[in-house]
Parts: sequence; structure tokens; C-alpha cells
Amino acid sequence: MTDANQHEPLLLRVTGLTVRLNSSHGLVHAVEDVSFSLARGQTLGIVGESGSGKSVMARSLMGLLPRRSIAFGSGSILFHTDNAQEQDLAQMPDKLMRHLRGPAMAMVFQDPMTALNPVLRLSVQLTEPLRQHLGLDRQQARSRAIELLAAVGIPDAAGRIDQYPHQLSGGMRQRVVIAIALACNPALLIADEPTTALDVTVQKQILDLLARLQREHNMAMILITHDLGVVASRADYIAVMYAGRIVEYAPARTLFTSMQHPYTEALFKSIPRINDPSHTRLQAIPGRPPQLINAAVGCAFAPRCQYVQPRCRQQTPPVVEVPDAREHRHACFYPISPGLNREEGDD
Amino acid sequence: MTDKTPCQLRERDDIVLRVAHLSVNFAVGKQTVQAVTDVSFDVARGETLGLVGESGCGKSTIGRAIMQLPPPSAGAVIFRDQDMTVLSGEALRQTRTGLQMIFQDPVSSLNPRRRVRDIIAEGLTIWGRDNSAARVEEVMSAVGLDAASAGDRRPHQFSGGQCQRICIARSLALDPDVLICDEPVSALDVSVQAQILNLLEDMKARYHLTMVFIAHNLAVVKNISDRVAVMYLGKLCEIGNTEAIYSKPVHPYTRALLASIPDADPLAREQALLDEEPLLQGELPSPADPPSGCRFRTRCPYAQERCAREEPFMQAAGDDHFVACHFPLL
Ligand SMILES: Nc1ncnc2c1ncn2[C@@H]1O[C@H](COP(=O)(O)OP(=O)(O)OP(=O)(O)O)[C@@H](O)[C@H]1O
Ligand SMILES: Nc1ncnc2c1ncn2[C@@H]1O[C@H](COP(=O)(O)OP(=O)(O)O)[C@@H](O)[C@H]1O
Ligand code: SF4
Ligand code: SF4
Ligand SMILES: [Mg+2]
Ligand SMILES: [Mg+2]
Repeated sequence: MTDANQHEPLLLRVTGLTVRLNSSHGLVHAVEDVSFSLARGQTLGIVGESGSGKSVMARSLMGLLPRRSIAFGSGSILFHTDNAQEQDLAQMPDKLMRHLRGPAMAMVFQDPMTALNPVLRLSVQLTEPLRQHLGLDRQQARSRAIELLAAVGIPDAAGRIDQYPHQLSGGMRQRVVIAIALACNPALLIADEPTTALDVTVQKQILDLLARLQREHNMAMILITHDLGVVASRADYIAVMYAGRIVEYAPARTLFTSMQHPYTEALFKSIPRINDPSHTRLQAIPGRPPQLINAAVGCAFAPRCQYVQPRCRQQTPPVVEVPDAREHRHACFYPISPGLNREEGDD
Repeated sequence: MTDKTPCQLRERDDIVLRVAHLSVNFAVGKQTVQAVTDVSFDVARGETLGLVGESGCGKSTIGRAIMQLPPPSAGAVIFRDQDMTVLSGEALRQTRTGLQMIFQDPVSSLNPRRRVRDIIAEGLTIWGRDNSAARVEEVMSAVGLDAASAGDRRPHQFSGGQCQRICIARSLALDPDVLICDEPVSALDVSVQAQILNLLEDMKARYHLTMVFIAHNLAVVKNISDRVAVMYLGKLCEIGNTEAIYSKPVHPYTRALLASIPDADPLAREQALLDEEPLLQGELPSPADPPSGCRFRTRCPYAQERCAREEPFMQAAGDDHFVACHFPLL
């Protein structure tokens, strides 16, 4: 499966990524056979409900999953470094991965406090990667750090740099985390729910900031969220995850104009919309997302799908291309095709 | 504080809950945090009032002050023709059963050691109401819980959405007039969030409830509310019917808030007016040291000299639509 992405050179190609984790309840099938690719400067939005495997996938791309919790891993993560070489991150030893984190790829998490050390001044946390990866001296690193803080919109950066994280608001902390992530100009930024803990006004500021910095550095971004609204206007491509799999993948606009997977449709319809009148009845999805303990037989969405057929419970639907569509894939036996009058499910 | 009745309070005989000049201050070290300052609103029978605003603006504090948990620093909370702030002891406890509250984190508001049916029966037993198995099962089935299979289990065996159903059942068992919901769906997955919002609408119709619905998600609030009150830094900015607030917002803060919402449909982004809105600048000031005059002035793109000097009071901005701003965007 290849994506056109014809304008920009390819940066990342993930093929058949599967990650199963040990847990006290059994094997967690967190990521199953995930494939996608991403070109420089582009944004892939990943949406899905809690527990659908978004964070495990992101951490495995970054090589940040603790080795002991991985029960099984397969697939490849081909990353094109600056000199056009291709490296498989899935095969890379931890020691080499550490050198890539920062200059090649960086990550921003939902809770800025997990990424910041509460007992260290911002100056220390910002200058450390600059000195380590870019070899700047103390003075150079400090002035670069102040520039970075100013670039992410921290007022009075020169004064703030000697403060501790707890002296900042939540929105400012997330800006600092972004400044640290961008310190070494990574080619890829993975932002895992970077605004979920923030108010809408701050969310907009942070997302606008990410978009601006991305443009300026032609950085590729994977933007993970449970909010379809966040990716709708900000991603070039959208991947919808359910139970560890990408169940639909398409250019953002295509996804909204001709969604194929029943889960994408159900998710979209269950969200209250700001343009709908008050008291509009929401189309809730019955049940709840599955636990990923042990392998499920058949389509993971079958227990909640209004179009389910007997076959859905016996076989796992493979990922297929939508005929005559560009870069549009889904994993459903009975996709939603406009004009096709579908029967409702058998139960 | 003024004695004058604020213009947003309505002259109607079906007002169930009236909050007038409510203020809540907290002592934090040597400072006083003005969490809520001079807030007035009312809720008519069968109405849902949505309360929106950013984190820390005082929404939960208002919810708790209505319940007298703790009682407000100033102002009145009129419920069933009584000012709850002057009640105490048994009289307060009795009146309070008419007001029930549900919270964002349903799991931690349930006793983990008790069975679901006992959790629901507990309030009924305390208040000497009908705590029979039949009554418990009736409310359980009303909220979509199967009494036979769920009644004997304990909270940790349920998902967040199911626990919220249990909390709703526990509240409804006491047959309240008013249900105060503080971010009841914020911690839930979107697919489950829709189930709970629909359930609240159904329960409202079935049990003739009046609701105060607190949330920071503007689309959720619009979906469930008849009227909406917008708060900023402890004060009301704008209040009115939902349609007016969402389609003709006149307070600069309400505009900024609405302009920040990401739209789940990129094709429906024809919000030209809102998209053009100047963005909020700067940081939220501390509620321990709020700006003089209009509290929003340090971030308001329309602020003028008068805004620092003079506090704006509520004025009419249309039919059932009120705004506290010197220069509303009419
Ligand atoms: N270290 C771990 N060990 C075992 N299981 C884990 C581990 N981390 C995550 N899981 C499990 O893997 C599954 C996917 O989790 P993940 O955190 O990727 O979900 P998510 O899509 O990011 O959800 P959210 O929206 O809540 O962040 C879940 O069932 C989770 O409990
Ligand atoms: N018990 C308390 N002691 C001190 N300050 C408090 C207390 N409860 C709330 N506050 C403060 O009051 C303000 C309003 O808080 P809250 O009502 O929880 O806001 P919201 O629910 O709108 O997020 C905040 O500044 C908060 O820090
Ligand atoms: S494969 Fe079947 S159950 Fe799964 S989403 Fe498609 S129609 Fe529904
Ligand atoms: S009173 Fe002044 S500062 Fe306050 S919202 Fe109106 S214009 Fe802005
Ligand atoms: Mg996650
Ligand atoms: Mg709150």
C-alpha cells in the first residue's frame, strides 16, 4: 500500500506495526497491523477513543515503550534521515534511538508535568538538549533557549527562564514542553493529546502555535487526539483507530465527505455539534470500546455496529483500498457507499 | 454589592432556583481568592441552565455554593421559597435533598466497598423514604442498568459511563427538583458521552427535573441547555437563551470562546464572523488579584479606558439576553 504524498519527500513509512503488551489481566493487543506513511511537512491526525492504542503506537514509534512490557512486537518503522538514508527504527538498539530523539523526532504529551522536571529551572531543562545534541556552550544554549521560549509565545522569556514549572499556568507549561521538543529542530513531532488538559481558548493558541512552527521548519507531525474537531481542520490525513487497528485512513477532506467505515460514521454522529439546535438527539453508539485483552475473533466493532452481518463475527476484515479514490482505505466488509441501500444488521 | 435586583432575574412564578448576588471567597494563605463575585441567575421549572467558562472561573464553586457546601460568603440561594443560606441543621439537610448533584469523576464519588443496590438505597434509607427493592430497581432500570445483573456488583466492576449511570440513579432516587451536573461527561469517551447526555434528557422529561449543567465544552452545553450563562474569572459575562448566546453573542469574551472551538466538520466552517474574531491575548489573571473594573479588560481586544475604571453591570441585549460589558458587540 503506497501513498502518493507526491510533493514532499517521504519521511516515515510504518508497515504492519503490531505491539502486544504484558498486563496482569493477560496479553493486551494494543496495536495490530498498523500501516501508514508520512511525508515531510505533513500532518497525520490520529483519532480514536480511550484505549484504542494511540499512545502505545506513538510510544513505539519513539522507542519509548519499556522493553519488559512488550510481549510481542513486529513490523517495520522506516525513517528517512537527512542524508536520505532509510533506517528501521523497529530494529534499532536503544542506544542509537536515544540519539534520534531530539534532533530527528520528538514528542509532546498530554500532561506537560510528566515531561517537565518539577525541581529544575526551565533554563536547565531547555539548555540540556541543546548542549547535548547540538554541542552549544552554556552561553549559546541559554540565548537559544530564550529565543525558543519567545518563539512559543512566552512573554518575558528572559525573565521566565529561571522559573520552575509550577510557577507557570498549564498553557504556559505546554508551551515550554513544545519549546523543549522543538529545541533541536526535529523532522517529526508526535503530539499525543497536546491540548486535552487545556481550555478551548488555550487549545486554539497551542494548536495555532504548532501549525506555525511546523510551517516554518517543514516539520512532519502526528497529532493524536480523541477530538475529531481538532484534526478536521488541522490534519492533511486522518487515521481512525479502533481496538488497536487503523479502521479508516483518508485525506482529511475525503474522510468527512465520504466516510466508509461504520465506526467513523458512528463516532462522527455521536458528537454534539455546535451548529445543531439545542436538544438535538445524539446518536449514541451502544456499548463501549472493547478491552484489548486477548485476540478478538472477527471485526472488533461488530458488537456495536448497526450494520453487522454474520461474516463480521467470524473473520477479521482486512484493510482494503476504496476503488477510484486516492489514498483512502478502510477495514470493513460492508463499507458505507453512497447510493447503496444497505440493510440494517442481523441483530 | 447593590440592592437593586439584577435585570437578568426574571419575574415569573415558576422560578425553582434563584441565586442572587452570590459571592464565594476563599482564604489562601494571606490572600483572598475571589472565586465567585456577585453572580445572579435563576432557573425556571423544567429548564436547563448551562454554565460555561474556562477552568478556574468558578463554575464548580457556584454548584457547591448552591448546595451550601460550603455556604457562600455573601448572597442568597432561594429554593422552594426559602433562602438556603439562612437555614442550618435539620432544616438545611431536609431542603438540600431537593437538590442533587453529580460530578465529573463518577468512580471516586461511589463507595467502592458497597453493592450498587445499597449505594442507591442508602439515601432513601437515611431520609426514611421507600427503600424497597422495587423502588431501587425502578430507578436502576430508568438509567439503563439491569438490576438483576448489576445490583449486586461493586463500582470498580463498572466502566466510567456505567458509574455515571449509578450516580444519576442515586440522585434521582431522592426525587429532587433540581439536578446540578458538574462536568458529568467530561471524563467519558465521546461515544459514551452521547449515551449519558441522552439519558439526562430522558430523565429530565421523566422526572420533571430542572437542571444546572456545568461544563467547559461549549457544544455539549449547547446541546442540553435552554439558557446559557458565560463566566469569566468569577463573574457572569453574558446570560440568555441558548440560541441568542450561540448565534448572536455580544460579549467579547463569549465571542472569543466560541471562535476557539474546533469544528468537527471542515466543510461546515462557514463561521466567517467568528473566525475573524481577534484572539484572546495574554494569560488569565489571578482570582486573588482580579483586574479593576471589567475583569476581562486585560485580555479584551475592545477594552477602553472606562473598562478599567468602572465595573460593567448586566444590561439587556435582546429578548432574554443580557450582557455585562460597556461596549457590547450589538
Ligand atoms: N505499559 C503498558 N502495559 C500494559 N498495557 C498497556 C500499557 N500501556 C497501555 N496499555 C494498554 O494498551 C491499550 C491501549 O492504550 P493506549 O494508552 O495506547 O490508548 P490510547 O488510545 O492512547 O487511549 P487514551 O485516549 O485514553 O490516551 C489499553 O488497553 C491500555 O490499557
Ligand atoms: N477550597 C478552595 N480553596 C481555595 N481556593 C479554591 C477552592 N475551591 C476553588 N478555589 C479557587 O476558586 C476558583 C474557582 O474554582 P472552581 O469553581 O473550581 O472553577 P471551575 O469549576 O470553573 O473550574 C479557582 O481559582 C480555584 O483555584
Ligand atoms: S466489518 Fe461488519 S461489523 Fe465490522 S464495521 Fe464493517 S459492517 Fe460493521
Ligand atoms: S467592558 Fe470593556 S473590557 Fe470588558 S468586555 Fe466590555 S469592552 Fe471588553
Ligand atoms: Mg493516550
Ligand atoms: Mg470545576
